[in-house]
Amino acid sequence: MSRRRVVNGKNTRGGLKRFTISMQNKLVVLFGIVLLAFVGLGVQLFRINRDNGQTYSMQVLSQQAYENQTIPFKRGKILDSKGTVLADSQLVYNVIVDSKQILQKDVYLEPTLDALESLGVNRNRIKEYITNHASSQYYIALKNLSYQDRKAYLEKVAAGIAQEKEKKIPAAQRKYDNIKGIWFESGYQRFYPHGDLACDVLGFSGSGNVGTGGLEEYYNDTLNGVVGRKYGYLDEGLNMEQTMIEAKDGNNLVLTLDANIQSIVQKCLTRFNDAFQNQYREGLGANNAACIVMDCNNGEVLAMAGTPFFDLNHPSDLAALWGMPKLDENDEPQDGYLTYTDLLTMTEEDKPRYLNALWRNFCISDYYEPGSTAKPFTVAMGLDTGTVSDSDEYYCGGYKMIDGFKIKCHTRDGDGWLTTGEAVEYSCNVALMEMVEKIGKENFTKFQNVYNFGLKTGIDLADEARTDQFVSDATMTDSMLATNSFGQNFDVTMIQMISGFCSLINGGNYYEPHIVKKVTSASGTTLRTIEPRVLKKTVSESTSAHIRDYTVMVVEGHDGTGITARPAGYRIGGKTGTAETLPRGNDEYVVSFIGYAPAENPQVVCYVVVDRANIEEQDNPMYATGIFRNVMEEVLPYLGIYMTEPVTEKESERLASKGLAITYTGDESSDKWEWADDDEEMY
Amino acid sequence: MDYSLLFIVLFLLSFGLVMLYSTSSYEAALEYGDSAYYLKRQLIFTIFGLVLMTGVSFIPYTFWKKVSVLAYMVSVALIVLVIPFGMEVNGAKRWIRIPGLPMQLQPAEVAKIGVIIFSAMIIERLGRRSLATLKGFIFPMIPAVIVAVMIWQITDNLSSAIIVVAIVFGMLFVACPDYGKFIGIVAVVFLLGAAVVWYTVNSADTNSLDFRGERILAWLDPQAYAGGKGYQTIQALYAIGSGGIFGKGLGQSMQKLGFIPEAQNDMIFSIICEELGLFGAISIMLMFVLLIWRFMMIANSADDFYGAMLVVGVISHIAVQVILNIAVVTNTIPNTGVTLPFISYGGSSVFFLLSEIGIVLSVARGMRRDELAQME
Repeated sequence: MSRRRVVNGKNTRGGLKRFTISMQNKLVVLFGIVLLAFVGLGVQLFRINRDNGQTYSMQVLSQQAYENQTIPFKRGKILDSKGTVLADSQLVYNVIVDSKQILQKDVYLEPTLDALESLGVNRNRIKEYITNHASSQYYIALKNLSYQDRKAYLEKVAAGIAQEKEKKIPAAQRKYDNIKGIWFESGYQRFYPHGDLACDVLGFSGSGNVGTGGLEEYYNDTLNGVVGRKYGYLDEGLNMEQTMIEAKDGNNLVLTLDANIQSIVQKCLTRFNDAFQNQYREGLGANNAACIVMDCNNGEVLAMAGTPFFDLNHPSDLAALWGMPKLDENDEPQDGYLTYTDLLTMTEEDKPRYLNALWRNFCISDYYEPGSTAKPFTVAMGLDTGTVSDSDEYYCGGYKMIDGFKIKCHTRDGDGWLTTGEAVEYSCNVALMEMVEKIGKENFTKFQNVYNFGLKTGIDLADEARTDQFVSDATMTDSMLATNSFGQNFDVTMIQMISGFCSLINGGNYYEPHIVKKVTSASGTTLRTIEPRVLKKTVSESTSAHIRDYTVMVVEGHDGTGITARPAGYRIGGKTGTAETLPRGNDEYVVSFIGYAPAENPQVVCYVVVDRANIEEQDNPMYATGIFRNVMEEVLPYLGIYMTEPVTEKESERLASKGLAITYTGDESSDKWEWADDDEEMY
Repeated sequence: MDYSLLFIVLFLLSFGLVMLYSTSSYEAALEYGDSAYYLKRQLIFTIFGLVLMTGVSFIPYTFWKKVSVLAYMVSVALIVLVIPFGMEVNGAKRWIRIPGLPMQLQPAEVAKIGVIIFSAMIIERLGRRSLATLKGFIFPMIPAVIVAVMIWQITDNLSSAIIVVAIVFGMLFVACPDYGKFIGIVAVVFLLGAAVVWYTVNSADTNSLDFRGERILAWLDPQAYAGGKGYQTIQALYAIGSGGIFGKGLGQSMQKLGFIPEAQNDMIFSIICEELGLFGAISIMLMFVLLIWRFMMIANSADDFYGAMLVVGVISHIAVQVILNIAVVTNTIPNTGVTLPFISYGGSSVFFLLSEIGIVLSVARGMRRDELAQME
């Protein structure tokens, strides 16, 4: 390039040609200004470090997510004695939305909303949340997404992205690739495959793995595992270190309860309830209709249920409360029953009270006067103490005067002369009062304790009640003793009654009732087996034999009170019970039947209680015996116990209608039981 | 070839790539599954930029004087093209897609170089006497302001608009013989700025403010706006403050782990402070001082006025951009998106910066041998 020097920096056209000294000087000034600005900024950097260095360093560390994440454990299963799963936990996912990530680019929002909608999230609501909480990075948009749904979603998105890449769709128009800020957090959800089956026994477990009621509460710690943890920390070099401790899953429970027997029981109770529902008044078939089936030779509970049932998967569904008695301020039943209007207008304070009543296990938490089902117990203590003998005879004239009170028998004219066995068969109050006079207060109170009445049986379920209102022999009045002899003026729970009754007929062994047979680990190894436990000897074998005879007479004797309880084709023993509830005079009764089969070699005991049936005249034990018969007619063949008795025509019709086979192999033309056929409708 | 300048530029580019990789690898791995995603792209731009720079350095700079009007027209045309062909990224429409290539062009970057070429020509034509007058100041300012307003209004990029005006302002400062009007204008700008700040702070209804108003409030009290407009600023300050004198070490930044979003862009200087400390930050600033000093030497020994003016334009451009960038990062001025030359991520930016270096090199090529010898 040629060099041109132009004097004075001017060329002939009037433009500048030369970068003059003054301009050079000004450039130096400009450089100086720039330098000054740099110095200023350098000072600013220094100032930030000097004044805020420490706080900012701490801020940086405190902002670091140390990712202290818990890994959920799986709560143990509950299985019945045959291995049927009654309660399980399944892997589910919470859908977490990260607004910040979604809002990073405009093209993310719509595809992400589409994706969330396909997962079942309300589009408008989540859109509103994302736009209003732009910096939120953790929001649970959806809970309990199933494993399958999540898998299907992930596969769909992966396939979509692959297709978009293949078709070379521009980044901004990609539907799947622009889904951002959605992630899944795993957890477990409790579920009950059989809905309301054994609802009172199982209880339920909601969020946080806390059991409410039943086994879920009683065995909460056994069922729960230990959460795992994933956490990071900064080492000396300020590097993030990651550590993970795996979660330990909870243990499983294997029950003595048999789901088949349980469903037979619940079916029979439901049939009763359906038949009596709205009969006398609007409401359920009875305040409570409950049934326990137990193996009398080891205390294993085979079934336990009480109406009304509720779906364990939706325990707080108020619809299940319909027809239940209204509660007073002490949560005791009062006049009136819940209507649908009541359910709709129920206050928030009332809801937990009624739900607790619904979830309550009547069989172990509620108590009542047992009535005549207590008579075998009284007779047994007489026989065992030698104060009463099998050959005694008692005269019933219809009533007995005690402490100036006229205590009546069930018939005005009286039962006449009765043997000890007949006293049980006829359910004679006067004969029992005569007996208990001989037994005496001391023996009586001692034996009530031996029978464990009023005390907890120790069954492995939450919320077992103890009534424990005993008076000692010193303070007991004569009328108290007299009425106690036939099951009035003292309270029991169903589990107390059935556990004691088992011992009366099995030779006197009082087994601790239990419902869990075995605890297994998550991998299935047995950790603990719960063996039958004899707590005490209540009565002698010979006393037990007498009680078996007497209770068979109740069902077989021509004047027996429990004829209607007999399942077709079987010989059984049992005892009815009727007790007026407090306050007396309301014509409200608890009727019950406790029985066992087979008569010669008792294996299974079934106890049915109907608390205030929905009918005008409640004092008919038939409501309970009907349920008992229906249960036993199905349970006995299921347990492999064959019929020993001929079946009448009517009975065979009934069995055929239920789809039950006749397993009797003897003389088929026998009319041995024709007399027992009655025309009364049974439920 | 001016090897000192070349060395400084290559140093800044290499350092920039290292820092870019350190800063962007975390986010790149998350977003693209490739931690070197940004590095690879920037490396390609840098290589092309260097090729372009070498090519430009061999073109006699007088060529630019001949095409200066065309350069100005092209700059304006490209900005207008944003309206129909613009591509929106992060809510701003600043880019034009280049057909057939996986990259975009930012017309504002073209405009900066276009304005330098064009204004140098205008100022040369005006002559010494005119430059002494106010008219001589205003006349070259008009085309620059037109372009700046277009950049501001069409591409919604106020910072580039300010830079364009500042470039011409710097060129005129050197060319005009007096100081008075410059001091006056700077004073007026300061007063206007103060008035805007005063108005914003005392505005009763903060909802009526646009995002720039909010940025001013966030500038005054970044802690109070830490969840919104002040977030980036406060996170950058945390990064600077936690760096200390020698920093946490290369690659050890914690703030780049998602706390400073897109840290490889405007906020890269804060990560330099965090990783390399005050020492590293001031070293980089010294590198820029050295670069500008070298430019100054080249301008002062340029063969003619036009060549010198080109270099002064480049000086103004780079100096303003570095100062604004560091000022934003240190919260000395309100947040506005300015990249750090040679170091921040951005294809258009590095491409046209290297073209400018090419022009400077071609000016240096024409330097008088005796002055060159004097300088060595």
